[in-house]
Amino acid sequence: MTHLLAPAARGRRSRVAGRVAARLGSALLVVWLASTLAFFAVHAAPGDIVRVLIGTGPDTPEVRAAVSARWGLDQSLGQQYIEFLRRLLSGDLGESFVLRRPVTDVIGDEILPTVQLAGAASALALLAATAISVATAGRRLRRRVAGSVELTLVSVPDFWLGLMLLFLFSFTLPWFPVAGASGASSLVLPAIALGAPIAGVLSQLMRQGLEEALDQPFATTVRARGVSDLRLRLGHGLRHAALPVVNLGGWIFASLLGGAVIVEQVFGRPGLGRLILSAVQGRDVPLVVGIALMSSIAYVACNTLADLVSWWIDPRLRNPVPA
Amino acid sequence: MSRSARLLAGALAAAALTVSACSGSSSESRGSGEPVSGGSLTWAVETEPTTLNPQLNGQNRTHLILRNAYESLLYRDSDGGYVPWLADSYEVSSDARQFTFTLREDVTFSDGEPLTAAAVKVNFDHLNDPTYDENGAGQGPLAHLEEVVVIDERTVRFDLVDSFAPFLDYASNAFLISPSSYEEDSISAGGSQVHGTGPFVISDVASGQEVTFERRDDYDWAPANAGHQGPAYLDSVTYRFLPESSVRIGALTSEQVDVIEGIPGIDSATLSDNDEVTVARSSLIGAPWSIYFNTIFGPTQDESVRKAFVAAVDVDTILDSIYQGERTRAWSSLNASETQFYQPALEGSFGNDPDLANELLDAAGWSGRDDEGFRTNTAGERLTITLFQGASYVFDGRDTVLQAVQAQVKDVAGIDFDVQQVDDGTWAEHYVANDYGALDNAIIEPGSASLQWHWLPKELGGAVNFSNIDEDQVTTWLTQGWSTPDVATRAAIYQDLQTHVVAERAYVLPLVESEAQVATRDHVHGFRFRPYYNDPESAYDIWLDPAS
Repeated sequence: MTHLLAPAARGRRSRVAGRVAARLGSALLVVWLASTLAFFAVHAAPGDIVRVLIGTGPDTPEVRAAVSARWGLDQSLGQQYIEFLRRLLSGDLGESFVLRRPVTDVIGDEILPTVQLAGAASALALLAATAISVATAGRRLRRRVAGSVELTLVSVPDFWLGLMLLFLFSFTLPWFPVAGASGASSLVLPAIALGAPIAGVLSQLMRQGLEEALDQPFATTVRARGVSDLRLRLGHGLRHAALPVVNLGGWIFASLLGGAVIVEQVFGRPGLGRLILSAVQGRDVPLVVGIALMSSIAYVACNTLADLVSWWIDPRLRNPVPA
Repeated sequence: MSRSARLLAGALAAAALTVSACSGSSSESRGSGEPVSGGSLTWAVETEPTTLNPQLNGQNRTHLILRNAYESLLYRDSDGGYVPWLADSYEVSSDARQFTFTLREDVTFSDGEPLTAAAVKVNFDHLNDPTYDENGAGQGPLAHLEEVVVIDERTVRFDLVDSFAPFLDYASNAFLISPSSYEEDSISAGGSQVHGTGPFVISDVASGQEVTFERRDDYDWAPANAGHQGPAYLDSVTYRFLPESSVRIGALTSEQVDVIEGIPGIDSATLSDNDEVTVARSSLIGAPWSIYFNTIFGPTQDESVRKAFVAAVDVDTILDSIYQGERTRAWSSLNASETQFYQPALEGSFGNDPDLANELLDAAGWSGRDDEGFRTNTAGERLTITLFQGASYVFDGRDTVLQAVQAQVKDVAGIDFDVQQVDDGTWAEHYVANDYGALDNAIIEPGSASLQWHWLPKELGGAVNFSNIDEDQVTTWLTQGWSTPDVATRAAIYQDLQTHVVAERAYVLPLVESEAQVATRDHVHGFRFRPYYNDPESAYDIWLDPAS
């Protein structure tokens, strides 16, 4: 390894550049693989796409030919794939079979409400998990109560939780509107429904991390210096507890997207989740592939962010000890 | 019946419909005086339109939204007769090959263009152009269309290649849009750039959420049997998409929306106890939700097996226990609301006869029993009839009903009715492979079209001929039916057809009449179902109590 022999500064720079290049390369690979997989998966799913597009209408050779020609399904799968890649390079994701609009427009319209929902839900989950873990770590009674609440939150289906929240805080107590994406108040219930199960998992993890940290010798040292228990937990313990959470970034992202499918349906919210559902049901190849592409980009971004945050939290990752 | 008498009858029927719609209410409507203008209404619906272009939208259930902005040549009365709308009058040649419409003079699209014969021609030429509507062009009624002829500015004639009386249903009911709309980039997706002649115009579209319409103040061409004339009462109406029925009901009872559509039978009871809400139901046209037996695959090829299955089921008991009286049993392959063509003689003529079911199966060679209690034939094969139910067609408790049928035919007659819920792609695979014992279906199309779709051979236009019927007698009836403009003659033919496919051959077991349900809060007045079609009408006649 030559760079280890080079002067320290140059070595660090080239190491960083190498890492960025590797990261970009693998990101491109993931995005390409995800969209390719989605492309072939929709084609391989049971049933004939042309038949689904015809719907309940008459399935005659003329209609078949017209429908196939309209959507380019008369070409071989290989040709369709090459055409898809060619258009992808020019930023064109094609036109939705069912909605009859450019996929980029459709996703552009629906992405903001989902980003808002996912942002609010993850902020809520993080805040709740932090508060619960700090308050309960190492305290027997509190952690037992919190543990069963967390288990309930993790086990409850999003669907049921959403309906219960609506029933209590929209239908019975008129605090929040039932549907829509207008204004912050319409975001509260869906964000809770989406964020609560994630909060359940995170707070269990963070409590475990906190408890481990509080058992370490440095915690005793800090306490010995007269630092209060709360400051110890917030200032030192959380940093340790946060690492596993950050490493779960990918899982959180997947839970948010998966949960959005259900939550957006229950709350009648616009967004990608609802779009995915109808696109898959309608065998809307361009839309499914477009969403898969967007999700993989977001996933890669999420993981990159998680790595950066890990770097920032944990100095050991920044200055690896040469083996 | 003369035209004016028919119009009067239509108006009376519409009024009766409005009244009967309200009669479900347990409370006296407040402010039921003179209609007042103003206010806005929020209406929660189950299904979001995939496209707002009414000509490309095949989802019947979303047309209550689109009808606010888009209209057609003729309206219907509750007997199925035709009422002037955008056309003042029409004429059908005695051989049912020429259909001539004379247009109203004062009609304009919302972009200001007048409705002319040329505009009508532009519309139908597009509808028959596969690059515009690849699913519909050249299909069904349009397969019979030779040419649209502009006679003069207000007269347009459709020339057909052969006799086809149901073309009137199609031509008079097609949505018309302004010719310039076809030049818009958004023509496929529809929206505010696609102009119609309706009492409202699309003002705002929030996809995945809602679509809003605003009143058109110069509107003055409502059909004579509408609830009123002139502009609509409401300033605006918003249709909000809430796919979950319990959420729609909660939104209505908590006063967050004014009207909801689509109330599953299982949930109806929640609303009928509510004093501030009126529930209205109506039977739709078309073919009821039914089980269609496959006549070219498996045990159902044998007429005795089909008849035994029908005899083994006690439909009334199943529907009572699942819907508690909130749904109507179907008896024929047309809904009873098809008053022109329905065959009432079928009512009470079959079903719930366990002895007959068992006799038929014994005689048909299914006399053995396996260790699970199912019947077997001499080869030891089990009497299995597999029904594939496509995921997007499972709603309103249809899965529960089929499970109940499954349990009943097992108990009563030892039939293994294997109900499988599958995704739509898998459904289509079985449909194409023809390896199903039965499929379920309901369609909401005018009677003659419903019969053709289900009973014509596939290559002649039997789009949902799930029983795979290719029987000369049936095809002859259908051909005779569509060549005859005379309604009474057609009715006699269609009634024979229904008796044949339901009672004589047991190709189909009718289960539940298709219906629409709407619930309104008590400050909402003037809601009505569309005459004849019986699906919810647009918001044109709706008005609100001034206080609300």
